[in-house]
Amino acid sequence: MSGASAADVRSILSLPPPGTPSTSTQPPLKKAGSGRKPEGISRELYALIGPSVPSLLHSSKPRLKQKPNLGGSRKVKWERRAFKNVARKDSLELQHWVKADDPEEDYAFAKYNVQSDIYTYSQDEYNRLLEDSEWTKEETDYLFDTVREYDLRWFIIHDRYEYPHGPERSLEDLKERYYSVCRKLVRNRPWPGDEASKSQLLNSFQFDKEREVTRKKYLASLASRTPAQIAEEEALFIEVKRLEQTERRFKKDREELLRTLAGVESGLEGLAVDDDGPMGNGELLKKKKKHGSDWEPMSAGPSVISLGTPMPKKGQQSTKSSVPSPEEDILHCIHRTSAPVPNNLPVTKNAHTPVYLRSVKIPVPKPAGLAPKVIAILAELGINHLKLVMPTKENCERLESLLDAASALVDLKRAVDRVEQEISTTRERIDSSKSTSASVAGDTAGTPMDVDQDETGTERDADGEKEDESVRAESVVSMRSAWGRKSSRRSMSISSVDTSTPVATRATKRMKK
Amino acid sequence: MVQYGGDEVSALVVDVGASSVRAGYAGDDTPKAIVPTSYGYVVEQATGEDVSMGDGEEEGQPSRATAKMYIGQNGPSMWRPNMEIANPMQNGMIHDFAPISPLISYALKDVMRCNPIEHPVLVTEPAWNTPMNRERMAEIMFEEFQVPAFYIANTGVLNAFAAGKGTALVVDIGQSMASVTPVVDGFVLRKGLQYSALPQLVHAHAKHLLTSPTQHRPAIQLLPHQLIASKMPVEPAQPPKFTPREDRIAQTTNSWRVWAESREVDEWVQSVAGVLDQGWNEQAVMQRPPRQYEFPTGFNTYFGPERFSVGELYFNHSMIAVGPSSLLHPSDTSPSLSFASLPQDRNDNLPRPLPSLITASIGSCDADLRHSLMTNMVVTGGGSLFGGLVDRLSNELSRHWQVKLHAPGNPIERRYGGWLGGSILASLGTFHQLWISKEEWQDHGKAIVGQRCK
Repeated sequence: MSGASAADVRSILSLPPPGTPSTSTQPPLKKAGSGRKPEGISRELYALIGPSVPSLLHSSKPRLKQKPNLGGSRKVKWERRAFKNVARKDSLELQHWVKADDPEEDYAFAKYNVQSDIYTYSQDEYNRLLEDSEWTKEETDYLFDTVREYDLRWFIIHDRYEYPHGPERSLEDLKERYYSVCRKLVRNRPWPGDEASKSQLLNSFQFDKEREVTRKKYLASLASRTPAQIAEEEALFIEVKRLEQTERRFKKDREELLRTLAGVESGLEGLAVDDDGPMGNGELLKKKKKHGSDWEPMSAGPSVISLGTPMPKKGQQSTKSSVPSPEEDILHCIHRTSAPVPNNLPVTKNAHTPVYLRSVKIPVPKPAGLAPKVIAILAELGINHLKLVMPTKENCERLESLLDAASALVDLKRAVDRVEQEISTTRERIDSSKSTSASVAGDTAGTPMDVDQDETGTERDADGEKEDESVRAESVVSMRSAWGRKSSRRSMSISSVDTSTPVATRATKRMKK
Repeated sequence: MVQYGGDEVSALVVDVGASSVRAGYAGDDTPKAIVPTSYGYVVEQATGEDVSMGDGEEEGQPSRATAKMYIGQNGPSMWRPNMEIANPMQNGMIHDFAPISPLISYALKDVMRCNPIEHPVLVTEPAWNTPMNRERMAEIMFEEFQVPAFYIANTGVLNAFAAGKGTALVVDIGQSMASVTPVVDGFVLRKGLQYSALPQLVHAHAKHLLTSPTQHRPAIQLLPHQLIASKMPVEPAQPPKFTPREDRIAQTTNSWRVWAESREVDEWVQSVAGVLDQGWNEQAVMQRPPRQYEFPTGFNTYFGPERFSVGELYFNHSMIAVGPSSLLHPSDTSPSLSFASLPQDRNDNLPRPLPSLITASIGSCDADLRHSLMTNMVVTGGGSLFGGLVDRLSNELSRHWQVKLHAPGNPIERRYGGWLGGSILASLGTFHQLWISKEEWQDHGKAIVGQRCK
């Protein structure tokens, strides 16, 4: 590998061959220089790198150090200016610093000077409406002045209230007088707005002195508990919670047991989901009391103070509203699908059925074992039990009663079959014994029902059913509902026995079959 | 500017307390001038004998035409022959108005170097101030200082504002008075106001403790350093070796001596005394480490249980019941003991301790208010810096109630809470409509003070 020739180097560097005069290189160089030299690049450097300047250099001028931008070039001039406060009645001028170019305007803080509008009354109004044996006009005036002065801050009004030679007034006295006067004035003055706003205003002036006094008394007694009483109360509360929890657990267990073993709801009263903290104490105790005598001593604790005078009232209201009354139902076109749950039992989660379309829950043949036969009967009658054209309440009921009747029929037929079977077997036995004991008499006619009998029987029954369908359906339905109601009310032991019997009989039937 | 509601009108705030007069610009966080309220004066017999003693002097004309007043840091604390010491405050209220205007003038003109004619002035008052007193203050401000506007605000309310609360139960422990003030929406509930001269009792008890001998140490001489020429270091609990300045002692007035001694007691209380956080307990006291303290005479010793018995007085009187006879007859101490003036014949007459003040105050408030007051308790005042006091108070109160104590950690804020609240109030834009202007003062007279400053 010999060294590259000078020509190679020249070609690589794309330099003109030697010999060409240096002047000839001038034009392209000039051309390169003709592109304007950007600012901030020294001439020598530009001569070296040419026009292929990194683009970055174009965007920012290199500086030694960035000068901090102190809010732009605009200088803000401040001046000390005297101002007047429009909330003041005098001519006091205070001085503060403002930006010089800010326009002079009303004092910005004057808008916070809001006065509450307190009612005033004339002598005539007082004589007509506001006479009170316990209050003189002068004292009422004094009260209203004080209220205005302290902007309805009642604690302060009560603190500063010192009517010379007047009786001692409690905070509730003052409030009652003030609000009663306001109510009377609102009621008896012409009202510009509508009735709703008037009654709303009247409501805002409502004041129940008795209730306030009782509430304060409760508060005071609550505050004056001794530490021992507080501890006792807390212990009681924890105990109540604990009992409630065990009870709830017990109920849950029992319900689960019943459901797995017997497939029925226990129908026991479930506890309300949760009570809201210690304030629910009173209601809780009340419930306990109603529930049974086991908890009686607990509610007798003298230190238990509940704030709940309004609570029982509320409770009554809610129970009252939950009781369905037939008149109301008719009025509101409400049809109750099942017999209403006894009033005092709150609905458990399991017993509750959400809203559904009736067409979704068209009755199906109930005992699964008999279903094919019942369907067969229906098919014979030309009834499609899966679809009702008009699933009204009555139609559903009729379909259900039809299904019931059909299954009853199938059941009956089975029983008949069985009996026939038994008769025939006994007959056979008798016959055989007869034949052994005596000479064999001619074979008696076999069973009176042969294979065909099955069909004829159903035919006949179906006919009969058609005739008195409605009557029978009613009876079946009523029987069923009665049974359901009974079972739901029964205590655990009885219901479990009760519900187990049909299962057992069914099982034996199946076995026999 | 409008967001935080501030609008500076360069108002001045003046807070006159028992220990110091605080003055400064509204909107600042610390007073610019803090001047001792006690002042010295010399009744002059001759003319011009007294040469100028630097900036701590002020001519007081009103009642003592012949007396020269010494105000400021170099006023009472500097020994001068025959100088008497007086304090215009008594039980938190201004008792003697004569030295008030020199004091305020000193703070505003000599320390702050501002001209009160140009500034509205907000002055503080205790909650139990009399209408006469506040009118007199307004008069001084308008007539003597020619202020353009004036307002007088309650220290309880201002302390609540300083803590950022409109509703609070303010427990203010000052140098001479302890008070409990319920404040609701920026108004004092006067019926719930409770106050007692508890700090004076604590002070007297501390003085009694120090000046009576125990089995471990002799009685302590509370000589201030101004009266001591030289001293030698001694071992703890050994008798001091010092030479008093006999020349000065001869010319020392009784009032100056009482003042100096009480300063020594205060120093001791502030550096050594404390209070147990869980009630008095002999064992707990013994477990606490003793603290050494050296008096100006050179006498030094370790203080163990004694230092905690002082603070116990804030909470109950059991420490006094221990040795009532010795307290009632302080024969072994100097006859000028200030607590001799305290009524101590029966326990009932003793100033009530803090828990009983708070209970009484809460008890006289409406049941609806109690919760909000208890959860907004503000502990303030220089006396509340007493070691362990806030913890103990919190423990005592939480035994009965659900309380939340707010005590500023910054000692400046604690000591000058009243001033700070005034500084906040007077810099609010919405406040400027409340000033009593000079015009109103001239039109309505004294009655305007009561009407405006509710």
